[in-house]
Amino acid sequence: MSGKPQAAPGTLDLSGRQYAHVDYDEKERLLEEVKQDLRFDEYLYGCYECGICVAACPSARFYDFSPRKIAQTMAREDADLFYVFLNDSVWDCSQCFSCDVCPRKNSPGGIITLMREVAVKNGLASAAEALEGYGRVVYKIMSTGTQVSPDMLQANAFPDWGPHVKDIAENLDVWRRAIPPETMHTTETSWQVDSKTITELYLIWHMTGVMDMIKEVDEGLFMILQDVMEEKLEDEGYDLSFD
Amino acid sequence: MSDLPVLVIGGGPAGMEAAKGIAEIGYRCVVVEKRNILGGTPELANYAALTPNFEDAGEAMAKMAAAINGDPNVEVRLGSTVTAASGSAGNFSVTVKNSKESEQVDVGAVVIATGFQHFDPGRETQQYGYYEYDDVITLVDLEKMLKAEKVVRPSNGEPPKRLCFIQCVGSRDRQIGNEYCSKVCCGVAAKESIEVRKLLPDCKVFIFYIDMRMYGYWENEIYWPSQEKYKVNYVKGIATEIRMKGDRLLVRGEDTTMGRPMEVPMDIVVLSVGMEPSAGTREMGAIFGTKLNQYNFIETTGGALNTVGTSVDGVFACGAAVGPADLEDSISSASAAAMKAVAVVRKATMAS
Amino acid sequence: MIPHSALFNKAKDRKFVADPAQAPTEDYHDIVDQLEREGEWEVHRVPEPYMEEKNKYGRVKKIPVETTWHHKSCGQCGHIPGYSTAVFWINRKLGLDYNDPTDQTSCTAWNYYASATSNAAAQAAVAMRNFAAAEETGYYPIIHCATSFGHYKETRQQLIHSPELRRQVKAIMAKLGKKLVMPEEVVHYSEWVHVMRDRIAEHQVVDMSGLRATIHPACHYHKLIGEDAVYAPEVYGAQRSAIITSLLRTLGLDVRDYSTWFDCCGFGFRHILVSRDFSRSFAVQRKIEVMKEEADPDVLITHDTGCVTTLDQSQFAAKAHDRNVGLPVMSDSQLAALAMGAHPYKVLQLHWHSTNHRPLLEKLGIDHEKAWAEFEESAEEIRSGKKEYLTWEECDV
Repeated sequence: MSGKPQAAPGTLDLSGRQYAHVDYDEKERLLEEVKQDLRFDEYLYGCYECGICVAACPSARFYDFSPRKIAQTMAREDADLFYVFLNDSVWDCSQCFSCDVCPRKNSPGGIITLMREVAVKNGLASAAEALEGYGRVVYKIMSTGTQVSPDMLQANAFPDWGPHVKDIAENLDVWRRAIPPETMHTTETSWQVDSKTITELYLIWHMTGVMDMIKEVDEGLFMILQDVMEEKLEDEGYDLSFD
Repeated sequence: MSDLPVLVIGGGPAGMEAAKGIAEIGYRCVVVEKRNILGGTPELANYAALTPNFEDAGEAMAKMAAAINGDPNVEVRLGSTVTAASGSAGNFSVTVKNSKESEQVDVGAVVIATGFQHFDPGRETQQYGYYEYDDVITLVDLEKMLKAEKVVRPSNGEPPKRLCFIQCVGSRDRQIGNEYCSKVCCGVAAKESIEVRKLLPDCKVFIFYIDMRMYGYWENEIYWPSQEKYKVNYVKGIATEIRMKGDRLLVRGEDTTMGRPMEVPMDIVVLSVGMEPSAGTREMGAIFGTKLNQYNFIETTGGALNTVGTSVDGVFACGAAVGPADLEDSISSASAAAMKAVAVVRKATMAS
Repeated sequence: MIPHSALFNKAKDRKFVADPAQAPTEDYHDIVDQLEREGEWEVHRVPEPYMEEKNKYGRVKKIPVETTWHHKSCGQCGHIPGYSTAVFWINRKLGLDYNDPTDQTSCTAWNYYASATSNAAAQAAVAMRNFAAAEETGYYPIIHCATSFGHYKETRQQLIHSPELRRQVKAIMAKLGKKLVMPEEVVHYSEWVHVMRDRIAEHQVVDMSGLRATIHPACHYHKLIGEDAVYAPEVYGAQRSAIITSLLRTLGLDVRDYSTWFDCCGFGFRHILVSRDFSRSFAVQRKIEVMKEEADPDVLITHDTGCVTTLDQSQFAAKAHDRNVGLPVMSDSQLAALAMGAHPYKVLQLHWHSTNHRPLLEKLGIDHEKAWAEFEESAEEIRSGKKEYLTWEECDV
């Protein structure tokens, strides 16, 4: 990011100066991609700038973040402003959907979901940066069908959660078997997932283009996932030339 | 055949004006009012002063009632409702029922002036706590207090130090389904804000709005004076939540002009509730077969060029029965309906 | 002149009744049925016996009592195992037939909401795959996590309105050898707890009268597709959802209000893993401290994985900064099970929680030292190879 004019830390620079070097056509193309999604029409009607969404939003209290400004920007179809938010703001959203109290029935959180997907699909550096440290999570859920598995509770990963994390990590194997439900005696997954179920999940990821999205935003992660999935699917007799 | 009378359903401002108009032209009318008193919603809801000129509402309604009571051309039937109707333009047969009896009345034309009811805050999308907090009240609750010249917090009887209005409650909201502006609430809130400031000079008054709808002369009759003379604070940004913190209410919104979330304490919050069709409006629509619009107001068929004609010939509607209307609208459309109704009666007589 | 007393229209005299005839939205029940008639999908009907509750607009929602297929939650099963265990334990204690499947994936909200590493089709396909798997077993899906629940309501909405999406998902299901199945209702387990509250109370053995509690409703439960949540006139006048509060009141707890009731817990999704300062600050400053200051509760009860995690795990680091924290957090299912006599460690698995729960147990007259010793004994038997697992029998179910 060197050479680009920077806004003061913690503030959102809506002048768009820092992205002046990006082709306007590119910004418009990405805006259009958001608008073309089948979900868009139900996420944005009109906006009368009432601020209810900001009032309800937890992220607005902590970050320099405004669901109203994002909804307004999309309503105005302002590609320059859109590009700023796409890179510098959308990852602050907590996806809580408190903003769904909008009287026009807009969903700024929904618009942000679409913007994030566009950022990922197009391999934006800001998306990759936001998902740094998240790769392991995506790997886990996509390859095993669950996430936040017991073995992820390591003291060095969650030092701020308290000393019990260390106890859990040290006693993990025994403590997992000391849980009554038969499906939960697992450590690498949150519950026991059938082999057939995993296969079905892999097929879904492939058939819906999610693997292509991963490839754009994290090549390394994509390759590991690809290996794991291809191997399993081949074992199950699936031809990997998907259309 | 001699002229049949015009039936005017509803004895509120619109109904009374329509009746007066019909009588002045020299035709007869029957006014059917379900309550035992004329005056409509301004009377029922104890309005203090009318918007925008601050006339005493009670006096104004009494004056209108006096103009028709005792007029030989006007027959007022209180405590009565219309329960059935048949016939067509020039000759309708309606059943008028009161607590004692049911009677068939023949009329030449009908004017529906059954008005509106205020929005119930329980259906509001935002969390305003009207059913939880004593100090969250509506414009109507405040009117009552203004009429008694005693504005205090219902919770403890003390005068408020901070009072706010929240606009557009029940209106302009796709989630509620009332996708219209109720027209009068901005004017009423501004008017009430002036009245509160006059009554309680130590009370800070705020109005939280999306847009201030200050049509025509309201701009400098009430909007400017409320800001300039009475120092009412207008904040562009509406509230999403009202909670209790300690013994005061906490209003959460965004101050959009300043671009920051806002959480402010208030002693009283006044919800500027919008208009919805009254039960009478919906009933009369069913009885006469007049088309209702998607909000269940009576649909007028001529757009801007015919504001009182319904889908049934000879049946007219005026005032808030056709949609949100202020007093000026109601008085004007009532006269229009009166004139057109008389024309129907006259035409029928001449044809026979 | 109006009498003084007539001026004050007090809240307690105001009565609100939701009228379904005034509901502004289409009734999703009608559209789901219509699409079945058109051959778009098969509707998985709620089995009898079921209870009928009202949703936000006064429409009826069916909640199954048994024959339930439990759509588990990653975070619960992974980090708060007592949460899901309690749900199963209550089912067993009440003698209800249920299915705990292994043919179930996460709802994948960690992809869709948290990291945008998914899309509408993938999301819907994952949901429909799980629903088809449930229907194949003959058991009716109930959802453990509020996010999965909100998520699946959104998916239903998208599938109802987009023939293109339906076509796409149906094709994917076909490739997996599965039918396209839409459940008649998307049910959250806390709605089940709500309808079962009287039966739970019948089995109550721990006196909780006077125990002070605050509750936290999950954003994804009542704000995301907010119509489809349970409301009851006797709880908050049907102005706020009835879940959790109804159970606690039935069990005799003193449920206390606080000024940030509607606030999000601050989970944020990816924030809880990679931007924890946000989650922590929010949970502590907007929720925990406000609750402690205004309501002085003994326990905080919520009904979602993310909320339990955020509210519980945010307190430790905050304590190091002398914040006003130290409020034990658990799910409605854990509290209900505890009330019915469930073991605090074998069933509630409280040793996976962060905030100190021992004062709470002491207040309820539960000997936690003895209970912990019992658990450790059982764990030791596993460690030494004497037995493989801690069983349901050991938990009296």
